[in-house]
Amino acid sequence: MENLNNVEQTIAVQSQDTCQLLNTFKDKMTLSLKVCAHCTLCAESCFMFMKNNKDPHYMPSYKFINSIGVIYKKKGNLKRNDLEKMKDIVWKHCVLCTRCYCPIGIDIPSMISTARSYCRAQGVYPEFDEIY
Amino acid sequence: MTESPLILLLYNLARGPLVWISGLIFIMGVIYQCVSMYKLTQKQIPFMKASQLNDPDALKFDIKQTVLYTHPVMTVVTSVFHMCLIIIPLFLLAHNILLDQSIGFSLLSFSENISDFLTMIYCVCAFIFLFRRIFLKRVRIISTFYDYVIWFLASAPFITGFLAYHQLFNYFWIVTLHMILGELMIIAIPFTKFAHMIYFIIFRFFVVNEYSLRRLQATRTF
Ligand code: SF4
Ligand code: SF4
Repeated sequence: MENLNNVEQTIAVQSQDTCQLLNTFKDKMTLSLKVCAHCTLCAESCFMFMKNNKDPHYMPSYKFINSIGVIYKKKGNLKRNDLEKMKDIVWKHCVLCTRCYCPIGIDIPSMISTARSYCRAQGVYPEFDEIY
Repeated sequence: MTESPLILLLYNLARGPLVWISGLIFIMGVIYQCVSMYKLTQKQIPFMKASQLNDPDALKFDIKQTVLYTHPVMTVVTSVFHMCLIIIPLFLLAHNILLDQSIGFSLLSFSENISDFLTMIYCVCAFIFLFRRIFLKRVRIISTFYDYVIWFLASAPFITGFLAYHQLFNYFWIVTLHMILGELMIIAIPFTKFAHMIYFIIFRFFVVNEYSLRRLQATRTF
């Protein structure tokens, strides 16, 4: 049984729907990821960052790089483990309040929201009684 | 001249054809990027009534939401850096003399002292960026090797230009290196992370979003 669980944890996650989702947003997402200067100037505009003692893991840039960034980098060939790692980032560390501000003009909320859609399509979302 | 044939060849290539080739690739690349970015936008239906456009509150820009408020020092550093990046090479006397010699046309030039001073300022800003990347945890955890390559490509042409102007080290080698690195940077602008220069202009000035200058007008949206 334990072995089976391990297999499930590492099995690749791909389906036609999610492939289509990734294709639809590919140009916009890859461009946004490409032009991000990794400057972190967007951090202070996120209240989650401010309210968590300025923990860098709550920076908008950290959140999209480690969610949608990973998804496109791996071309959607993710393991279930990868998705579990980004579950907290997309569902818990960001509330999609759309208040983040990037001086270059990157649309950060749309990136995190696309990562959410991808996770939801893969069945990775918090259960009702899991809401913190 | 006692330089080796290889460095002479590189010097002549960098001073001649490579300038035009890099300029051409740059212009084609910028056009390509502008078209692809424009394709990502869509027609926007006005979301404010004409009466609301006259409302001064609707046009108010909350400075507290911008980096000018959250990062005043970095705002100055980054603005000065990007301004110098554009004006130093354009208005450098030596560049304009070369331009005049080859096509009989040149732009206005700064005095050599001003260019030298601006280059020093540029290098200081570049090193502030580098130290931030190395020593600030928040910047370090999202930095990759590629960010350092980009930093190198942006700073090396200016550092070598500064060294060449002051004739430090072997002038001939340094000036050849300066030209090659500068041309590499020009080619890289439309195709690498440097494309944020084009992106910034398009998405902060021409496309509607909350923080763009056209946020209240009917135009295109991302
Ligand atoms: S999203 Fe914008 S502000 Fe944030 S790190 Fe990227 S370029 Fe900088
Ligand atoms: S949308 Fe997410 S990342 Fe942006 S400010 Fe809100 S919580 Fe922060």
